[in-house]
Amino acid sequence: MRIKLLLLGMLAILTPALAQTGYSSHSQLSARLKSLPAKSRLAALASIGKSSGGKDIWAVTLSAGDHSKNKAVLIVAGADGRHPAGTEMAVKLAEALVALPADSLAGLLKNKTLYIIPGLNPDALEQVTAGLKYERSGNATTRDDDRDGRTDEDPFEDLNADGLITQLRIEDPTGTYVSAKDDARVLVKADAAKGETGKYLLITEGTDNDKDGRFNEDGPGGVNIDKNFTYNYPMFEREAGEYQASEPETRAFLDFLYKNNNIHTVFHFGLSNNLSEATKFDRANASKRIISGLQEKDAAVTEMVSKMYGKAGITNAPVLPQTAGNLTQTAYYHAGRFSYSTPGWWVPKAKETEKKAGPPARKPEGSGPEADYLKWADEVGVKAFVPWTRVSHPDFPDKNVEVGGLMPYALHNPPVPFLDSAVIRHQAFFTDYLNALPRTEIVNTRVESLGNGVNRVTVTVVNKGLLPTYAEIGDRVRYIYKVSCKIRLSEAQTLLSGKPNNYRGAMAAGESEEYSWLINGKGKITVEGGSPTSGISHLELTLK
Amino acid sequence: MKKILILLISLTAFHGKAQKSDIAAEDLNGIRAIGSPANPKVKVYWNKYSDHAEIYRICSDLAKTYPDLVKVQSIGKSVEGRDIWLMSITDFKTGTADRKPGFYIDGNIHANELQGTEVALYTAWYLAESFQTVDFIRELLRDKIFYIAPTINPDSREYFIKHPNNPNSSRTGRLPLDDDGDGLVDEDLLDDLDGDGNIVMMRRKSATGRYKVDCDNPQRMVMAKPDELGEYEMLGYEGLDNDGDGRVNEDAVGTYDPNRDWGWNWQPDYIQRGALYYPGMLPETKAVKKFILEHPNIAGAQSYHNYGGMFLRGPGAADDEKYYTRADVQVYDYIGKLGEKMVPGYNYFVIHKDLYTVFGGEIDWMALGRGIFTFSNELMTSYKLFNRKSGEGRFENTEFEDFDKLLLFGDGYVKWKPYKHPQFGDIEIGGPKKNYIRNHPGFLLMEDSHRNMAFTILHAHQMPKLEVVETRKKDLGGGLTEITAIVMNRRIMPTHSAHDVRYKIERPDYISLKNAGVVAGMIVENEDFGITVEQKMNPEKIAVENIPGMGFVKVRWIVKGKTDNAAVEIDSAKGGLVSRKLQ
Repeated sequence: MRIKLLLLGMLAILTPALAQTGYSSHSQLSARLKSLPAKSRLAALASIGKSSGGKDIWAVTLSAGDHSKNKAVLIVAGADGRHPAGTEMAVKLAEALVALPADSLAGLLKNKTLYIIPGLNPDALEQVTAGLKYERSGNATTRDDDRDGRTDEDPFEDLNADGLITQLRIEDPTGTYVSAKDDARVLVKADAAKGETGKYLLITEGTDNDKDGRFNEDGPGGVNIDKNFTYNYPMFEREAGEYQASEPETRAFLDFLYKNNNIHTVFHFGLSNNLSEATKFDRANASKRIISGLQEKDAAVTEMVSKMYGKAGITNAPVLPQTAGNLTQTAYYHAGRFSYSTPGWWVPKAKETEKKAGPPARKPEGSGPEADYLKWADEVGVKAFVPWTRVSHPDFPDKNVEVGGLMPYALHNPPVPFLDSAVIRHQAFFTDYLNALPRTEIVNTRVESLGNGVNRVTVTVVNKGLLPTYAEIGDRVRYIYKVSCKIRLSEAQTLLSGKPNNYRGAMAAGESEEYSWLINGKGKITVEGGSPTSGISHLELTLK
Repeated sequence: MKKILILLISLTAFHGKAQKSDIAAEDLNGIRAIGSPANPKVKVYWNKYSDHAEIYRICSDLAKTYPDLVKVQSIGKSVEGRDIWLMSITDFKTGTADRKPGFYIDGNIHANELQGTEVALYTAWYLAESFQTVDFIRELLRDKIFYIAPTINPDSREYFIKHPNNPNSSRTGRLPLDDDGDGLVDEDLLDDLDGDGNIVMMRRKSATGRYKVDCDNPQRMVMAKPDELGEYEMLGYEGLDNDGDGRVNEDAVGTYDPNRDWGWNWQPDYIQRGALYYPGMLPETKAVKKFILEHPNIAGAQSYHNYGGMFLRGPGAADDEKYYTRADVQVYDYIGKLGEKMVPGYNYFVIHKDLYTVFGGEIDWMALGRGIFTFSNELMTSYKLFNRKSGEGRFENTEFEDFDKLLLFGDGYVKWKPYKHPQFGDIEIGGPKKNYIRNHPGFLLMEDSHRNMAFTILHAHQMPKLEVVETRKKDLGGGLTEITAIVMNRRIMPTHSAHDVRYKIERPDYISLKNAGVVAGMIVENEDFGITVEQKMNPEKIAVENIPGMGFVKVRWIVKGKTDNAAVEIDSAKGGLVSRKLQ
């Protein structure tokens, strides 16, 4: 039976009906990534771990010089398998950067590292190129999704054999859905306040294999990595996993993030958005024992970055709130890094409303995101809808059951060519961002002789970048290296005053701090200042 | 059928008459002190602490001597590559070992808290050595299985025992970390200045010091009165500034907390000191988690710690109080309150209320993540010194000094002695030895091991014990028969905690009718009023969400055809397998 479905699905791929192909399988992605180092000496590729299904999780490193000594930005995508567009954009971005003239790439990466992890959840991402397409979030870990003691006992069924899992609408007196007014194809909840009563039941395509009254609630597909992170973890929720960071993908990412203490910011192409519209500062949440709001200085920085995003021509992003147990919030609240997420691509705003000024993140214009998407798809000629067609269904023998609806993945994953303009704009944004990174320098050095071999050494550490050395929340995190200023003396020299190692908290753009020491002796001393996320400078001074 | 036979045989065997020839002769006469094996086959001294080799020696000797009672396995390796040993203890000749209700015991997650290991080892030894002589133990091991991991932090235990330490050091494991953020790892350890294996305190005579010697007890340093001049300043634990950064002993190996590495309400280090990057970073905690997830029969658990004389239950954090429902708390209350009688000086406490807040702790993961009824005993209390509770606080009273003088003859402390310190100059070093204060003195160790074991056996004994207490047949005519079965749980622990039922942690219990043509199946909610709930799918295998403690469930089938060979079978993850032929 399974083979039959698979064959049908493969046939479906070959038909022109599926406009939204163009996404890469894991092996195709791997091949594309493996070709990068040959194209630029600044590019390297490594596997940071394996998924629960045994697929490599790739990390591209773009860096001039030792990547670990440079301040760094990390771009990650594909934590939730329902978003292959994020993965595709991240790979395209890496390809575009590597294709730059060698000197302009070297200039962009001067003292900087860009890490790109394009597909964090390869097991789930693979479903977009599989014979049977359904929006899959979960990796290959076996889970009892409905916690009934049986695993994978109620998967989807492709009732119309088109290789796509869409929806079923069943005409039924207990139905709570009606056709949307602006697009009859789309079903919306009947609103009693508007005098509407329901007409349809709406469920996913398939049968109730285990006869528990629920449809397709436990198919293959285990843990959604974007629900398995440590912050605000949704214990016992479907696809969240056995416990916080229970999955190898989650741990591989966190190990990479924590161990690379040069990572200043994490950007996530994913199904949430805190980039186009900055999160507001909330004093109560920011000061709880379990912090649940941006720190005050971080909120101000976030607003600036949000404007930078808009300036790169990336506008009209949808409102997509942060979700429990996700990567983006964990990278900020637990790992202490600046952390932003964006779907990267969305339905462009309709032409007639484009001129009106609105908030940077917007609500749907029509009855919902589906209607907006279909309107756009019709305009540009993308086939994204399976027309409602009657099928016979064993669980509803005497009912009018129709299969149809928006194709899986459609909403956030357009045909690949449509991603190109988004990639160009994001490349411009990341270029601006890399240029804005903090830059700690040692300036205004003075060596004064106080006579009899006693020297007063004074230096100032300053942040000449446009962003803080690291997020304010990083000052709470044990694994974030603080801003330091250290002197190294030789055996013959003695320190009369001042600490050899000085540490302080995050340094805002333009902020500076002076350090001085009294040293008895002759010869050279070394001063070192900065932090891994803002660069560490070394300086040699000669005592008088 | 075979199972029923075995059950019958073991039922007849149980009456205290069995296998007298196996009982050691000494156990039958006056040599035997009540409660202890007189001539145990595995010899262990219970007034000392065991290093890693001795732990394995005891485990493997028990397994070799009692192959039908004890099996030993390694459940994983530590950071430094030591085996984490675990003994499975049950009557392997009866039933299916890993399908019996299981009780998990570990000790020593905090490596300086040595005696959890000894209580765990004592329990294994006592169970094996008493199987033939004590009817209760024989019945216990017929019904249940114990999983005992004497230490789940073997590296740091070995380090605590074999290297210089103080009573509070080596709580951590041995994963190297940069504690002070200077890019160097483990560069400023504790230093045993006089090479005696103990890290004690440093004091220096000082005109501006605020401490003085207690005139009644020269070992003890006390604060000078507010208007009085002191004689000494205290300089902390024995050590040097090894890396020349102006701080002493600031970067030791580890300094994280393995008991903050668990996946329930885990919080980062700035909220919960001692946490790593995410729960389950350590190979030791990973091994335990894996074992517990692979053994859904574990219904109860104990994690031994020290210090303070407490039977602790969760939650570790106040915001998890909502997960403790009345029904579950009643089970804990029954065990905890009896425990206060069994182990004088110990109190039944709730972690976040009576101790402090713990996020990401082991027992919270077991209790709330897995629905296992879990206690954590804090072994040793100053009550044990003179069998009374001092009215004064720990730093006001002199119980430990008095006990040292009167019962240990000065063995508890390193006497103050002068030392030339490279950074501090002329100082004196002295103070409690690493095994004093938190770890039991030898002669108290065996008694407290037995009492705490008894508490844990009480806990384990109350794990579910399921029985088909009654089956009834009724002829419905037309070739149909109605069969009703009553399944009772004869212990106070349910097969699923109320928390488990709410979040569906463990699968339902299944009550099946075998060898009969089942037409329909249902749960009987109220027999007198005929209230039943039908199960439409697989009616021969009725799923019940829970079999309550000291409670029952009734199920009913409508059957066509013969019922001569029909049998009722219970399959419960935490309650075990039970089967009974229809009467």
